[in-house]
Amino acid sequence: MKMNFKTMKKLVPLLFLLFLLASCGTVKEYEKVYISDPDMKLAAYQNERFETNFQVYREGAAGANGGKTGGGCGCN
Amino acid sequence: MLAITVVFSAWAQVQDSTQTYKKRVLENTEVDMLMSLYSQDGDHSAVGGGVGTENLQDITPTIVVSIPLNDDDVLTIDVGISAYTSASSSNINPFNNTGASRGGDDEHEEEDDDNHFTGTSNGQPTGTPWLASSGASRSDVLVSGHVDYSHSSDDRNFIWGTNVSLSNEYDYTSFGFGGNVTRLFNDKNTELGLKGMVYLDTWRPIYPTELHEYNLYGNDFLSKGYFEGVDVINQSGTVSTDYLPSGFNAISKRARNSYSASFFLSQILSKRLQAAIFFDVVRQEGLLSTPYHRIYFADKNNYYIGDAGCIPVYTSPQNKGVYQLADDIERLPSSRMKLPIGARLNYYLNETFVLRTYYRYYTDDWGLKAHTVNVDLPIRLSQRFSITPSYRYYTQNAVKYYAPYETHLSTEQYYTSDPDLAKFNSNQYSVALNYNDLFNDFHISKLLLKSANLRYSHYDRSDGLKANIVSVGFKFIIQ
Repeated sequence: MKMNFKTMKKLVPLLFLLFLLASCGTVKEYEKVYISDPDMKLAAYQNERFETNFQVYREGAAGANGGKTGGGCGCN
Repeated sequence: MLAITVVFSAWAQVQDSTQTYKKRVLENTEVDMLMSLYSQDGDHSAVGGGVGTENLQDITPTIVVSIPLNDDDVLTIDVGISAYTSASSSNINPFNNTGASRGGDDEHEEEDDDNHFTGTSNGQPTGTPWLASSGASRSDVLVSGHVDYSHSSDDRNFIWGTNVSLSNEYDYTSFGFGGNVTRLFNDKNTELGLKGMVYLDTWRPIYPTELHEYNLYGNDFLSKGYFEGVDVINQSGTVSTDYLPSGFNAISKRARNSYSASFFLSQILSKRLQAAIFFDVVRQEGLLSTPYHRIYFADKNNYYIGDAGCIPVYTSPQNKGVYQLADDIERLPSSRMKLPIGARLNYYLNETFVLRTYYRYYTDDWGLKAHTVNVDLPIRLSQRFSITPSYRYYTQNAVKYYAPYETHLSTEQYYTSDPDLAKFNSNQYSVALNYNDLFNDFHISKLLLKSANLRYSHYDRSDGLKANIVSVGFKFIIQ
């Protein structure tokens, strides 16, 4: 698969800034039915922790996923 | 006076209603029982200097217990064991007989099984990077424990926590501690978090056998200890006494310390859309290389132990009986600064589909740059069952100290042939089956089943490494 990462690298931070700025209103607690769904959680599934472990060993990059950032193992 | 009394009692009731009601952070004790089975294979073992089998199996049972201490506080205990066997790490000592204990049989070869070679050649020890040896480093057990405490304010808009962790395996011990704070505001639409973590780790270095013996006995190590009476052969297959890894020095500083600061910001964007951004700053210091990763220099002659007839096919699995002696071990800088930044965007499409996306950009001062993209699509089959297909793409360039087998020069200061630090990309395909026991129908004594899941992933790396992992988890609540 070939992906244009240079363009993505420039666009992603901009998109997120736009999203954050666009959120002028708030969603009330009683309107959070969909947001509160377990699949909507902004974190990896618990059963992905073992995959994250082997990815930390087999890949050079780690972190920015709310979990392990480095250290605690004889890995990269 | 009456009016003042009415107003005061009304205000008091309002105060009472906000002070007396407080939803518990965690209603019941939760127990997660998790297990994974992992298997991989490849052709670029770092123990073999970039050549050899990467065959490895691992089984990891884990239990996580979350205990509500009161309305506001939760204690979480996470304990796991990782038991693995590795053909690659078995070849830290790839020779199945010592010189002192070698047999006198002529051309005696036997195989325990397809993956384990216990050969000799004319009474001389042999080895190969393509099969596991029977060395003690073939298997190991990692035990780890993590305790986390968190406290939430009465209005649940401020959470702070602290944690401590400990892990140990044969050659590595880790002690970690940290803290975190989270603030919710804007009607809990916005969440801001900060986390700090410190790991104070220690290696107990194990060296490749030939370097261990050189470090022990010095220049005449080939006539003592493990290699007494063993023939070392050169590239032409002729017996030679010239092998001398004089560039090797034992590691004196064995600490590896890691310091990280993590930041996250999440925002509800609409009734169906929310996003988060994660940013870490990580600094590592100390022994950042792996002491048993071999290095072979292009400007040094090659020396072997074993069957000279296998030298021409050394870098292929056809090599059944010769092992090349190392020139040195991997050497890497004693500091590393890592900067990953990631983002999640989740969208509730409808009652059946949820779209989960994740992107991470990573850079560090070793020259590594990487991109990660992950997409999950949970599909609700019924109220109790859902299936989640996932896809993950990863790509990285090589660190500036990487070169393949037999490419580095002895004049370089830092060098590694670890394929995990090379340029590659990978594809990972996953599927998970999830079950939610809405009414806790299934139970074992006081353990009521809340959910169960089964997940399978296949990982394909562009350098030929392939891995499969199956994980299963059960979440119970204690009544």
